[in-house]
Amino acid sequence: MRVHVRAALLVATVLAAACSGASSSSSTAKTTQPLRIASIPPLTGNLGSYGKDAQTALQFAVEEANAKGGVDGHKVELVNEETDGTPAATVRAAQSAAQRDNAKFIMGVFTSPEHAALQQQLAGLGAVSINSIGKDDPLTGANCSSNAFRVLQSTGMDLRAASRLLTTLPTKTWSILAVDYNTGHDAADLFKAGVQKQGGTIVQTVFAPQNTPDFGSYITKLSQTPADGLFIVEFGADAVTFVKQANQFDLFSKFKTVFGVNTVTTPLFPTLGPKITGMYDTLGYDPTVDVPANKQFVSAWQAKYGSVPYYVQADTYIGTQALFAAVKKAGSVDPLKVRDALSGLTFDSIVGKVTIRAKDHQILRPSYIGQVVQGNEAGGLAWKIVTEAAPSVTSPSPDSACRL
Amino acid sequence: MAQLLNGLAFGALLMILASGLAMIYGLRGVMNFGHGALYMLGAYLAYEMTRRTNFWLALLVAPAGLALVGAFLELAVFRRLQRWSAIEVALVTFGLALIIQRLVVLVWGGTILPVEAPAALRGGVHLGGVVYPAYRLMLIGVAAVLAVALTGWLRWSRLGLYIRAASHDNETSAIMGVNVDRVSLVVVALGAGLAGLAGALAAPYLAVQPGMGLAILVSALIVVVIGGLGSIAGAMLAGLGLGLLQAAGAVWLPSFSVVLPFVALIAVLLWRPLGIAGKRTA
Repeated sequence: MRVHVRAALLVATVLAAACSGASSSSSTAKTTQPLRIASIPPLTGNLGSYGKDAQTALQFAVEEANAKGGVDGHKVELVNEETDGTPAATVRAAQSAAQRDNAKFIMGVFTSPEHAALQQQLAGLGAVSINSIGKDDPLTGANCSSNAFRVLQSTGMDLRAASRLLTTLPTKTWSILAVDYNTGHDAADLFKAGVQKQGGTIVQTVFAPQNTPDFGSYITKLSQTPADGLFIVEFGADAVTFVKQANQFDLFSKFKTVFGVNTVTTPLFPTLGPKITGMYDTLGYDPTVDVPANKQFVSAWQAKYGSVPYYVQADTYIGTQALFAAVKKAGSVDPLKVRDALSGLTFDSIVGKVTIRAKDHQILRPSYIGQVVQGNEAGGLAWKIVTEAAPSVTSPSPDSACRL
Repeated sequence: MAQLLNGLAFGALLMILASGLAMIYGLRGVMNFGHGALYMLGAYLAYEMTRRTNFWLALLVAPAGLALVGAFLELAVFRRLQRWSAIEVALVTFGLALIIQRLVVLVWGGTILPVEAPAALRGGVHLGGVVYPAYRLMLIGVAAVLAVALTGWLRWSRLGLYIRAASHDNETSAIMGVNVDRVSLVVVALGAGLAGLAGALAAPYLAVQPGMGLAILVSALIVVVIGGLGSIAGAMLAGLGLGLLQAAGAVWLPSFSVVLPFVALIAVLLWRPLGIAGKRTA
């Protein structure tokens, strides 16, 4: 009998530990109300590795803030939930974090479809979303939300920066390969408009579903239609699969210019190898930006993780900078007061002084276009910034479709 | 020509993966939802072996390692739970898949890992006016050899006879003196080994990451159902067919390519409810 009781106690302890593990929060002093951030990145699926990087960046920012005594006297807590990158799972995780754990500041959400679904729920949840990954223009346009703020450049902003580069390239005819959901379609449309403005033409546009295991048919199609340039909108594992298979077909040698939208990232350099040398890509963040706060961030990150941070980590960190600045401005961790403080907020970030525009909640910060060159960032490769465009060029006015 | 080869290459991968899944279903009557995770584990073992030695050795070690995992799966799960309903055991295999996925993340991390094809297979081969990647041709070749070997073994060896008998009717085979447990051990180990082989072959071809198993499992399940549950030859045919269909879809019906496998599934089930090679059993 005693054995049974002991076994039951053991099982109960294990279950309790398992339940608390499903949603862990770091312990804090309780003198003032804590600032609770819900971290809900995808940790499985084709964006899983990026999700882990976002989670690490949040953990880094929280530890750094708490080491300095918290934010405006509030200790910062991270409530970790995870998703598979689908809108339904993200909304469920956000509901759980906001309602069960009272974590009303949602970060780490990735794709634009997830953000679009989440933004509709925010008001009902009394929660605020800080988007540091989702780039679709409608998120701060037709689908904007008074409780959602974007701290990275939209696809439109990046592609307007890219159109500056297009004027300097000899490439006039382009093929497009894009992922078959709204980000891919929007980017393809914006790029097409940019190319046509420069007098160029799009000879074919190919959309491949998300999680495509074999790009062989698409690659053959692209290689059989002559064009000077190839424009790619693929992310995460899809990007790796495509570039690896394109290398096997020696596809890139058929084009004068290969241009991606967040397709190639620094952590992928060793996986993709030297064949991507010369490829252009939009770069949200440049780790060499000459801002004291950036230098401090990069060296602290390097000291802790042994690598230079890239855009997923840096943009997530900028998201926490925005949140912390808003909490200080509001003098409260009340979500509605912080929301009001975020709107129109100007704050010092690792990319300099930036503003979140009040009319559409879009951050105004520069966009960069980088080119992969031989170097020592990772895998014998590095980025060279070839174009920088100020927000006054990339986003001169708020999207009129946004009604806050 | 290139598009035909594209279809065959992906079909070859599906064929190897799905034939293992069909074998396990045929004998144990359980849909092994852990098959994708076994395939993913095979790819990670191939990564580890390629990093330490070379890819050719990885191509031997990954299937052998996964065959051992399969033997463990048979002894610890399928045999012990053979009185449970098929759906309950299938759920257990799904749970095992989640455990394997988590273990892989703990050991190798969640990042996408690079596996290079062997130097001899990195280039292209001139075929009918097109240059086609040598690695993909090797994949098609391996699948063709495997299909012939597996079919021959099942048809002409004594153990093959037992497997076919046990797949058809487990209980009667046991009454007739077939050691079903032993046959089952061989089949589950072989099925898992085939998943390992598919994973190792996929490593330089697709992205090695923890989600790769789940991404391909749905295609493999469709192949097995279209082929006729439990039919190895059916799974092989359906695997090739689905590969070709997806390649054709990407070329001619790009907007619908994502739903084509499901359309094919519905069409085949309406035409032949038991699949292409499905036989009605008692």
